[in-house]
This record gives sequence, C-alpha cells and structure tokens, in this order.
Amino acid sequence: MSLILRAGLLCASGVALGLLANGFTPRPAPLGQGVLASAEQPGAACEDAQASVARISVREAKPLCLACAAAFVDARSPQEYAAGHVTGALHLSPGEGAETILPRLRAAPTVIVYDRDRDCAAADRVATRLQAGGIRDVRVLTGAWPEWLAGGGPGESGSCSLCTAGTR
Amino acid sequence: MTARILIACRLVLGALFVWAAVAKLPDMAAFAQDVANYRLVPALLVPFVACAVVGVELLAGAALILGLLVRPAALVLAGLLAVFTAFLSQALLRGIDLRCGCFGGDEPASWWTVARDVAMLAAALAVARRPQGAAWLRRKAAMTRSASSG
Repeated sequence: MSLILRAGLLCASGVALGLLANGFTPRPAPLGQGVLASAEQPGAACEDAQASVARISVREAKPLCLACAAAFVDARSPQEYAAGHVTGALHLSPGEGAETILPRLRAAPTVIVYDRDRDCAAADRVATRLQAGGIRDVRVLTGAWPEWLAGGGPGESGSCSLCTAGTR
Repeated sequence: MTARILIACRLVLGALFVWAAVAKLPDMAAFAQDVANYRLVPALLVPFVACAVVGVELLAGAALILGLLVRPAALVLAGLLAVFTAFLSQALLRGIDLRCGCFGGDEPASWWTVARDVAMLAAALAVARRPQGAAWLRRKAAMTRSASSG
C-alpha cells in the first residue's frame, strides 16, 4: 500500500476516533452548530470587562463627534483611512510613531480610537500608546468602523494631511 | 547515533501529540472555541475540525510511540504541524490576540509557539524520511542474528 494511502487511512481513522471521543467527553464540541470567534459573538465585540482601555459605544460617541467634543484616531491602514473615516479623525497605525499627532490630541477632552475589527486589537494597541504618551481620557470604539458606518456616523474620505503637518 | 536521535524524536513527538490530545479531550467545546478564534475555518465546520485534530493527534501520536505505521504517522503529523504554523502565523500577522489551543489551557499564541511548531515539523519530517519503527528494529535484529550466526 502506498505511503499516501496509508497516511490517508490513518487520517480518516483519526477523524472517526475524534468524533467518537467527542461523544464521551464532559464538554463536547457542538457538532451541527456553528462556533463563532469570541470577538464575533453577539455582544462580545470588544466588550471585555478586563480591558485596560475604557470602551465607548457608537451611540455615545456619535454626539461627541457632531459636537467636536472628542478627537478620533483611526488605527486602520492608510489605504482604509483614505477610503473613508470618521469626519475629522487623525490616522495612526499601530506601528507608526505618535509624536506628530500627540500635541493635537492633548488639546481634546476625550480621544476615541477605532479600527476595522470587532475585537479592537489594533485600536487597543494604539490607545495604550496614546495613554503612555500622556493622553488621559482615551476610549476604544466598540463595534469599530463597520458599526460606526451602520449607525450612520459622519464620515469623509481622503488622506490625513494633519497627521504629517505637525502641530501648526 | 543518528538512529538513536531519530528514535528519540519519534518517541518525544508521539508523547507530545498524545499529551496534546488528552489535554483537550475533557473540554472539546473550549478547543472548538480556540479553533474558531483563528478566524479561518467556517463556523459550521469548526466543531468537526476540532474533533478531527484531536483524533488525528491521538492516533498518530500513539502510532509513533508504538513504532507502528511510523512513516505515515510522521507524515500526517508533519502536515498537521505545517497547518498549525500557517494558522498561528496568520493570526499573529493580523494582530489577533488568542490562545494557541496547543495543549489545552491558556497558553497564548506567540512567535515562540510558531518556532516550537517549526522545530517539531523538522523532527516529524526527519522521522518520516528515516522511520526507525518496529519494522526497522525487527530488520536490524534479524541482521544482527544472521551476522552472528554466519
């Protein structure tokens, strides 16, 4: 019997063994039901009670944006930022230096960071760096950019001229 | 000397995979969640993939320890390790913060986990290339007997 055939048979037997063992385990994997990633489960998006950075929902953040009472920071890629972002948002990817935009953000009473993913991983990293840079009230937007769009939050497109123009 | 190293690789790899499977068995639901968190497998397939991984780890690991079907078992585990490495790397590159799900428990995924998988992959490929299993030991014993009697 060829090596590949024996490997295939071993695999098939292993799969059968795994499915059989699942029937006897105290906490089986739910066969026949979908399992979503933790960050994609309803209500779990970015809402970790242990998170080191405070959260803010789209419903709470939208009025702050309309009243210019908060500065927004977009933690997605420059291309995604250019395609569309929260009106007036500055851009800062997790790998970029924050020195250029920090003076502007210090003048804002609240800074709201958002990214693309519902787990807020990139926004969390940027928010932590802003906190380390001396920004006191930093929040991460739950639901990220997709929820901002779905909630009818104001947006605009184009690259970030203020991000490279210094403190003017 | 090389034969002894390869036998050690076979036994250690086998033990690691049996341990990994046994550690996951009591809470397969948690392992399915770990698989889902890599965000590569469609939600409906996640529980089946979780069961398949545990079953294959258990069977191939036991085969390596017992020295049976060594070459196919090492090949299967090499394939599994290549997939693990790809899954871990994409998650780390995408900035997804997750548990690796390797041996049950809460071990976070990191580049150290990737390096460990690559080292195990190299060992599995070495064992697949020159399997030192039960058949090899029987052949070696027969050769020793015929040499001493002749």
